[in-house]
Amino acid sequence: MRVEYINPFVEATFSILKEVLNTKVERGELYLKPTSHPVLGVAAIVGLAGDVEGRVLFDMARETAISIASIMNGEELTEFDELGKATIAELANMITAQAVTKLHDLGFRFDLTPPALITGINMEVSSPNVEALIVPVTLPQGKLEINVAIRERA
Amino acid sequence: MIAKVDYQNVNDRKPDGLKTDGTPYRVLVVDDSMFVVKQIGQILTSEGFEIVGTAVDGSEALEKYKELHPNVDLVTMDITMPKVDGVTALEQILAFDKEARIIMISALGKQDLVKKALMIGAKNYIVKPLDRKKVLERVVQCLK
Repeated sequence: MRVEYINPFVEATFSILKEVLNTKVERGELYLKPTSHPVLGVAAIVGLAGDVEGRVLFDMARETAISIASIMNGEELTEFDELGKATIAELANMITAQAVTKLHDLGFRFDLTPPALITGINMEVSSPNVEALIVPVTLPQGKLEINVAIRERA
Repeated sequence: MIAKVDYQNVNDRKPDGLKTDGTPYRVLVVDDSMFVVKQIGQILTSEGFEIVGTAVDGSEALEKYKELHPNVDLVTMDITMPKVDGVTALEQILAFDKEARIIMISALGKQDLVKKALMIGAKNYIVKPLDRKKVLERVVQCLK
């Protein structure tokens, strides 16, 4: 996977998280995951289709999702309710939209799907024939993984 | 002799959401995200605006606008929504009321659609994430 695809997502994640959470955001080491791997509990997924195809997954524990949504809403959410889900989906939407603007500026052309939210335990995500690159992000609210699997269209 | 100044009144200002007659500007908020509707609502009501309705897609927006007209002063319109998108809803509302004041809301990456909306007749636009100061600035410009 070309690094040009990854950097805009990393930069956009940092910029948006800092803005909406007003907090310190720390980046861990990038690593590759096999095509099938477990997810943490709440995953917002955005599909990409055009010159490149694939998906970006924002993966976090349920508690982390609740904490992030609480801060973004300015109120303590006690469960991952409809408002919490809408908040995390909107967060994924803002990050992806900003990253795509950067990729468009670099000459890549593709569209995004609206974010879909998947919640549950013991889930696994598979992206056959595409390796996923993970960018771990540490926040005071917990860990967030940006999981990018993109390939050029054949 | 030093003149007596009533400092309590020095910082008094009329909230942005109130008209000169003291009544609130009435806003219809259109967005498919419950989070964004809540966020816009919080920002605007804190300045005295009144949220008179909400809609989750373009067709509901047109319906609500017709129902509220002429008792609505401003529409905040998301661009990307299911069924009928924000740009189509903008066209339809302006066809019904060419004086409608509509401000587009968009995440980055939709510049072409924002330009199209401004050409059609949107008064302004706001890019997400929503910043309270920017939202109020753009809304006030739109109402001038």
